[in-house]
Amino acid sequence: MKKERSKKYRAIQTLRIISQSLFFILFFWLLVQTHFPGKDYIGNVEIFFHFNPLIALTTLIAARAVFASFVFAAFTIILTFVFGRFACGWVCPLGSIHQFFSFIFKKSRLLKPKKIKNKLPTLKYYILICILAGAVFSLNLVGIMDPFSLLYRSFAVAVFPVLNHTFSNIIGLLYQAEFYSVADPIAQFSTTLDINPVFAQAFFIGSLFLAVVLLNVYRERFWCRYLCPLGALLGLFSRWNILKLTIDPKKCIECNLCTIHCETQANPFPNDEWKSSECIYCFTCSAICPTNAIQFPIRPGPEKIEKIDLSRRKLILTSLVSVVAAPFFRLSPKSARASEKLIRPPGALPEKQFLEKCVKCGECMKVCPTNAIQPVLTEAGPEGLWTPMLVPEIGYCEYYCSLCTQVCPTGALRELTVPEKTQVKIGTSWINKNRCIPWKFGDPCIVCEEHCPVSPKAIKLIKIEVKTPEGEIKTPLAPVIDTELCIGCGICENKCPVVDKPAIYVTSVGESRSDKNQLKLDLISGSGGIY
Amino acid sequence: MKRRDFIKNIAAGSIFLNLNPGLFAQEKTIPDLAVIQGESPSQITKEAISALGGMNRFISKGDEVLIKPNIGWDRTPEQAACTNPEIVKTLVELCFEAGAKKVKVMDHPCNPAQRTYVRSGIAKAAKEAGADVPFPNEHKLKKVPLHGQHIKEWEVYRDFLETDKIINVPITKHHSLSRLTLGMKNWLGALGGNRNQLHQDLDYAIVDLAAFFMPVLSFLDAYRILYRNGPQGGRLSDVRLYKTVVAGVDYVAVDRMGAHFMDMSQEELTYLKIANKRGLGEVDLEKLKIEKRKI
Repeated sequence: MKKERSKKYRAIQTLRIISQSLFFILFFWLLVQTHFPGKDYIGNVEIFFHFNPLIALTTLIAARAVFASFVFAAFTIILTFVFGRFACGWVCPLGSIHQFFSFIFKKSRLLKPKKIKNKLPTLKYYILICILAGAVFSLNLVGIMDPFSLLYRSFAVAVFPVLNHTFSNIIGLLYQAEFYSVADPIAQFSTTLDINPVFAQAFFIGSLFLAVVLLNVYRERFWCRYLCPLGALLGLFSRWNILKLTIDPKKCIECNLCTIHCETQANPFPNDEWKSSECIYCFTCSAICPTNAIQFPIRPGPEKIEKIDLSRRKLILTSLVSVVAAPFFRLSPKSARASEKLIRPPGALPEKQFLEKCVKCGECMKVCPTNAIQPVLTEAGPEGLWTPMLVPEIGYCEYYCSLCTQVCPTGALRELTVPEKTQVKIGTSWINKNRCIPWKFGDPCIVCEEHCPVSPKAIKLIKIEVKTPEGEIKTPLAPVIDTELCIGCGICENKCPVVDKPAIYVTSVGESRSDKNQLKLDLISGSGGIY
Repeated sequence: MKRRDFIKNIAAGSIFLNLNPGLFAQEKTIPDLAVIQGESPSQITKEAISALGGMNRFISKGDEVLIKPNIGWDRTPEQAACTNPEIVKTLVELCFEAGAKKVKVMDHPCNPAQRTYVRSGIAKAAKEAGADVPFPNEHKLKKVPLHGQHIKEWEVYRDFLETDKIINVPITKHHSLSRLTLGMKNWLGALGGNRNQLHQDLDYAIVDLAAFFMPVLSFLDAYRILYRNGPQGGRLSDVRLYKTVVAGVDYVAVDRMGAHFMDMSQEELTYLKIANKRGLGEVDLEKLKIEKRKI
């Protein structure tokens, strides 16, 4: 028998790699572009998320809301109906990363593909069920495992800051070596990229991402095989697709290479055990086949047998477990009482609706011009993990900026114009008179008042009398807050010269999105006052 | 030459001289301050520089020039928190006309530089005129002795240390601690470090910094004045149209003039008094030769 690999499928493989690269570059480019664009309004840099049917479905269920952008997600579903999980193999940027690292690990002999006897259970379907069952109870956990959210968050919070730091080290070396003419343009360029360098959870989120990538040492595209809930969702729609794997029994020499090298666990050989729900159309099998026996002819109609290994019993059990587990995420005082540190970005919906919609993607964290928006760890309870909050010690809310509200893919942050945004109050500022330089020492300072962006200023200066330890009486100008004018932007806390624990700080009380988290009755009626 | 032509020429010449009395007046003295008022920021800038004897007096051929406007805040030109971009642009052009090899325009803002450079309109205007507009870069900070009476040393961007000439282009604004922020306070934008701590001794810090940086020219933008809620304002009602610029070599005198626009005497601005006592410049408007014009 003539041994010859298929030239056609090797060409298709090359096309696939080009497609993966292009989509990855697009994803990366949009990520890089997610910063202040030099004007007030940024374009649709979050467009990738709109094509994600998992995010659309969970938001639909959890928030009981319909968005126009669901049209894009429907497009992906229709594509899957016709071509199967083609998007996983040709488009998904996280899939491309996994495939790339699988390739690297194979080349470096860390990973040796072999025939897998003990197939792991199709965990990803159970993950999907858990997410959807949670959504029924308005518990939106999709962001933890959704591939786009995972990738975007990891890049924005960990990978980019690391690259930025490395870049900065190199620039530092160039300056040390006095290569000014080289260093100057590089430094200027890196500042233009506007990468937020500091994230409290960079190490945690970065380590998780690294772990997900390292799983490829164990199995090729481990994430896509066993974990990805989006892949599972698309798998459910792939049964009727028109491209069905066919092995020519006359040519097949039963070498098993196709199944050994299958990127997922679609199991090309034997032919009747091939699963379209697992196949991502990478065409590795047909390209690697030594006798050119594998083809993907156009063959409409459903697969002969249901190929998803989900027994009805397990399905019901998982759903039941999820139903019981959903409240588990809410057994936290945070759902009953607002957290003082939980300062949500402007435009955030009331907490309950916010949590229903937020997919923890990190778009807002990437776009924030001051690095203020950070992923939450504990402040919002378990269900609020990695949702955004402002940490004024790191950054503050820039007064004439509404970028975070514009890039939110699900409207958890309601889109605001810049004038609308300046009217939003996200918290209230407080003075710690025990640490404030004028209040404590009688010395001049006023840095908070100087930086207060509202006009008239929410920080007023009054003349006070302070007795120093020597008994001397000083009469400096000292700051007091007009809580009605204060919008809680946090620039005062950020710029306070008492560096370790600022003498002025913002808490969430008074935030305009909340009915309950208010300070005084007269604040609601709008009369306000100085505190 | 016919006699008739000769007479004609004399007549024409005397009319010409009548209209341009300065033409042969080589002895004409240069004022300490040029205070020019007018509709176009660019026109009054040009006029003020030429009243001081032209940019050639300050910039020599082949000079590297650093222009330091106030780009401190994420505000638009109408809000008068940052220097007027047209004035910056005109100064860059005049520097190049005087033979400058390279002109840099930079500041270390309070809000993110990526925003303030754009929204103030200064980056675009300066680039149009051919200037470099570098962002402040922490790698270029250098701790240097300031030889001040209060600040001994501080971190300064090397761009300010390694240039031939510096031109200071502040805007006239209200400030609740120093009362006004004008040219001498503008130097906080050349510093890194925890500069907010300087506020604990602000008036003395301002004088020390002004004595250290020694601009060849101070050019005060009072086209729009931020007369309250400084130094960043916000509402257009915080801004007054004054349509004036002040230019001078004596930076204390320039700031004194700015204070005058805000109806303040030299007694009210502590740092002016300190600077004057230290012999850095004149604060008595009576003693200054001021060329004041409206165009």
